[in-house]
Amino acid sequence: MPTDTKRVRGPEVSQSPSLFDCRPSVVPPSHGARADGRQRDQVDVRPVFVRCGLVSQAKGSAYIEAGDTKLLCSVYGPRETERKDETDMKCGRLTTDMRFAPFSCPERGSWIQGSQDKNFSLMLQESLQPALCLHKYPRSQIEVNVMVLENSGSVQAHAITCASLALADAGIEMYDLVLGCSIRQDGSSYVVDPTYSEESNWSSSEHQGGLTVAFLPSLNQVSGLQSDGEMAEETLTAGIRTCIEGCYKLYPVIQQALVKAVRRAQPPPPES
Amino acid sequence: MATVKVSEAEKVYILHGIRDDLRVDGRSCEDYRHMEVETDVVSNTDGSARVSLGHTAVLVGIKAEIGKPRPLVPDEGYLEFFVDCSANATPEFEGRGGEELGIELSNTLYRVFNNKNSIDLKGLCISAGEHCWVLYVDVLLLQCDGNLYDAISVAIKAALFNTKIPRVHMSSDDEGGKEVELSDDPFDCVRLSVENVPCIVTLCKVGHRHVVDATLQEKACSVASLIIAVTHRGTVTCVKKVGGGSLDPESIFEMTEAGKRVGKALHAPLMKLLQQEESLGKKREKVGFLG
Amino acid sequence: MSPTRLCVPGDKLCSVEDCILGTGVYLRHGYIYSSLAGYVLKKNEGEQLPVISVVRETEVQLLPDVGAIVTCKVTSINSRFAKVHILYVGSTPLKDLFRGTIRKEDVRATEKDKVEMHRSFRPGDIVLAKVISLGDVQSNYLLTTAENELGVVVAHSDAARAQMVPISWCEMQCPQTHTKEFRKVARVQPEYLEA
Repeated sequence: MPTDTKRVRGPEVSQSPSLFDCRPSVVPPSHGARADGRQRDQVDVRPVFVRCGLVSQAKGSAYIEAGDTKLLCSVYGPRETERKDETDMKCGRLTTDMRFAPFSCPERGSWIQGSQDKNFSLMLQESLQPALCLHKYPRSQIEVNVMVLENSGSVQAHAITCASLALADAGIEMYDLVLGCSIRQDGSSYVVDPTYSEESNWSSSEHQGGLTVAFLPSLNQVSGLQSDGEMAEETLTAGIRTCIEGCYKLYPVIQQALVKAVRRAQPPPPES
Repeated sequence: MATVKVSEAEKVYILHGIRDDLRVDGRSCEDYRHMEVETDVVSNTDGSARVSLGHTAVLVGIKAEIGKPRPLVPDEGYLEFFVDCSANATPEFEGRGGEELGIELSNTLYRVFNNKNSIDLKGLCISAGEHCWVLYVDVLLLQCDGNLYDAISVAIKAALFNTKIPRVHMSSDDEGGKEVELSDDPFDCVRLSVENVPCIVTLCKVGHRHVVDATLQEKACSVASLIIAVTHRGTVTCVKKVGGGSLDPESIFEMTEAGKRVGKALHAPLMKLLQQEESLGKKREKVGFLG
Repeated sequence: MSPTRLCVPGDKLCSVEDCILGTGVYLRHGYIYSSLAGYVLKKNEGEQLPVISVVRETEVQLLPDVGAIVTCKVTSINSRFAKVHILYVGSTPLKDLFRGTIRKEDVRATEKDKVEMHRSFRPGDIVLAKVISLGDVQSNYLLTTAENELGVVVAHSDAARAQMVPISWCEMQCPQTHTKEFRKVARVQPEYLEA
């Protein structure tokens, strides 16, 4: 267990007061409309707000907001690679770092990157890498940093979308944008783009699980796939299709945000 | 991870072979290499197993300790996974070299077991909110020759089957205080039901086809693989894409289907083998690590 | 709506039969796709097919490539090589720090065995060099100055810290103290002057 010596820490063991709450936690209903009025069993993603170029120091950056999930991503590089022991010097290297602000979840997190965060970072890296033209950046590395400001579910999916937007904003050559979408399977029904409470409060039915897909819309390729819980194989396949559909719903929004960012940065060049 | 360098000519050879459903070592695309399973190999553990798959060797030791239940689920025990990539397997793992891979593997194991059916966690609770069994599942990689996930999952299943947790009961004294009492009889143990413990199947996409149980050479020819954790009933507890490439949706659907088929077929012989070994008891000839 | 088209990575622009690939685009299955977010530019050059490229406001991040002329600053020297920081590739400034090495053998084209590093470069000199290799795992970019047009372009004298003037291909003179110092001097070509 690594300890953080730079900050004043609380007691060794402390718990959120919400645990001592005697009222039964609100289990989201497993049928009917969802808490935020969206439809169940339909590709009903939360409306997203995206904006590029918020971090002035970074090569590229993006901010995404979906419901209460808020993420910030910045891209630095290509710069000289730090690790020289990597075998392949002809290709660039993509490094990702995804962190949760300690106040981003209902329970306070730690400033130190836990193994869960590393897991998120790894999936982010594996999802983005197929979309990048890394062979154009020999000997150099591109750094992607994602900070989760507020976690209200589907963080991994939105982090992927946000990071690909920031990479495009940085002018890194890419084959395609990468879009992320999550679903939560609950028995025979599913919810798309689940919120934090939909993710964590399970009703006690048999087959349930979460699924996150990263998708390259123009190339029609899945670059990231991760699930947990227990699902039948058919449900899983259907879930992947649903996620891909969800990604297509996001696509025009992301395209527009990027076009807007380009237009704002520079007037169109003279026709030649 | 330990990797090998493969030349272009070798790649073409491997690719063409796989296209014709004949792999370099004579297997077809959905065949496993020779697998050996041996349980009860380390005496200091509550359950242990050694699995070798081709030249991949994995040792799993399980220790049960009494801990405090997690506040969010006071009536359940829990499992802790730790994967150690020892420098024995490859010099790359020396020092902190194996750390990244170890974290990746153990995180995947948490995901695979993150459901209510794999292990009866409620059965691991001793007294709600106060005491529960914590199973420390320690995985040691002794040799790496590809397909770590599958070997680890089989070893974990075998080790969990082998695990004997001492029976305890709660006694309360006059003042209402509770105490945990261990049974006097050392053979008085609880066994775990491992029926629903999933096995992981890794499918490597090579060319336009996918192979099960890829060797390092085959892995070097593939851009991405899919790991699928399948239970004996064919339900999937985890899927994950690993590697730097991407897959088209249709091949993912094909791969999950193949994974389910292969995974389901893996469970029955494994359980049969474990029960057979168990029934031999003390008469069993121990193979150990040199076998 | 502006007449020039905007695109994002992954947008299909046209068939490969209609255009020639420029920058910021890639080819897949006979079609040209964009690999950048920016404006689509079609340039007609003579009777050939127009060149299609995607441009952004900022210059696409250039990386030192084999054969590129770079401007660098010497940071340290020893008897075998000089270490430099690469500042410009062509006329494009680099945002991040890239390190390079000029080995003794690569200082000049003739009489390589007689080269003495301290008579060729000094820390602080601005040098024009050419990238000969991206280097391997241990080394940085390898550079050479073994051409008449390559070598020291700006150097300051030891005594007065004044900018020296070249007097021959191997000497520079301080305008204040008139002391001569040895350098591997570049004969600066007019086309490099703007760099």
